[in-house]
Amino acid sequence: MPLNDDDFMRYSRHLLMGDIGELGQQRLSDARVLIVGLGGLGCPVALYLVAAGVGQIGLCDPDRVDKTNLQRQVLYRTDDCGSLKVGCAKQALEALNPGVTISAFARPIDKEILADGYHLVVDCTDNLAARQIINDACYAQRIPFVSAAAVGWEGQLVAFDFGRFRSLCFNCIIDHNSAEPMMNCANSGVVGPVLGIMGSMQATTVIRLLLGYFKQHGEMTRYDGKRGQWLSMHCSRNQQCPTCGAASV
Amino acid sequence: MIDLLFFGRLGDLAAEVDRSVTCVDGRATPLAIREWLATEHQSLAKELSEPQVLVSVNKMIVKWDQPLFDGDELAFLPPVTGG
Ligand SMILES: [Zn+2]
Repeated sequence: MPLNDDDFMRYSRHLLMGDIGELGQQRLSDARVLIVGLGGLGCPVALYLVAAGVGQIGLCDPDRVDKTNLQRQVLYRTDDCGSLKVGCAKQALEALNPGVTISAFARPIDKEILADGYHLVVDCTDNLAARQIINDACYAQRIPFVSAAAVGWEGQLVAFDFGRFRSLCFNCIIDHNSAEPMMNCANSGVVGPVLGIMGSMQATTVIRLLLGYFKQHGEMTRYDGKRGQWLSMHCSRNQQCPTCGAASV
Repeated sequence: MIDLLFFGRLGDLAAEVDRSVTCVDGRATPLAIREWLATEHQSLAKELSEPQVLVSVNKMIVKWDQPLFDGDELAFLPPVTGG
């Protein structure tokens, strides 16, 4: 849909930018993005992408809001406790921007949801099994995959532009047979704004990908909020990778 | 000399660890250095043996058997999987 008068007001701070402008805003509005996981990462990702006018957004999470979520999951209110996250999120996000079409899936991620014609998938989950399913589906469909994670004071971001690059995927970096580490947010805690930083980096990466400004396929960035340090590293393809390695082709 | 970097919470556990080690070119690996650390720093070595710990050499994620050379910077990265 072309931009209307309300859109010109709402997105004026994008339209002022030479490298976004009307064409860029139109691209965002035409995009269809799936957000998997509506916890500490998914909340800021969804808020920023909906506010930015990404036209169609899918939300996937089987959980209900719990009081222990409220310290960091900024979409939910105290009264939301006990309700489905996707339902509360959809309501809050539609109030923020009624121009965005939001679909909600109150179940764990599966191949059927991933096969629904998305242009990009954002991984805001907390486990390797889900990341694996998303990585494989994005690789097969040649669509970008933006993954982040956090625990304690630390965050990780890595994104893959599978439409342009067919070598190197999440499976190359973290072997799909790996066990889950002992430390997770439920048993070790996490600092709320660290999730906000990583989620904001994911949302920025999504916008860069949709506008064609992303060039860091498979580069991993780590953040340590306690010491205020960042570290970026390159990764390389695992020849034996079951998703993208020589044996898979 | 190989420079060691312990990212994030590993830095707390590695407070007592010397940040540079001498070894013969091409003979040391991240795995060998982890085993060497285990002799004196057991709690650190235990964390380094967790699943999904990553190692990078000169800002490139590598496997645990990557040969190390003089001047390399070896970084250990703790697993980050929550969301
Ligand atoms: Zn791969």
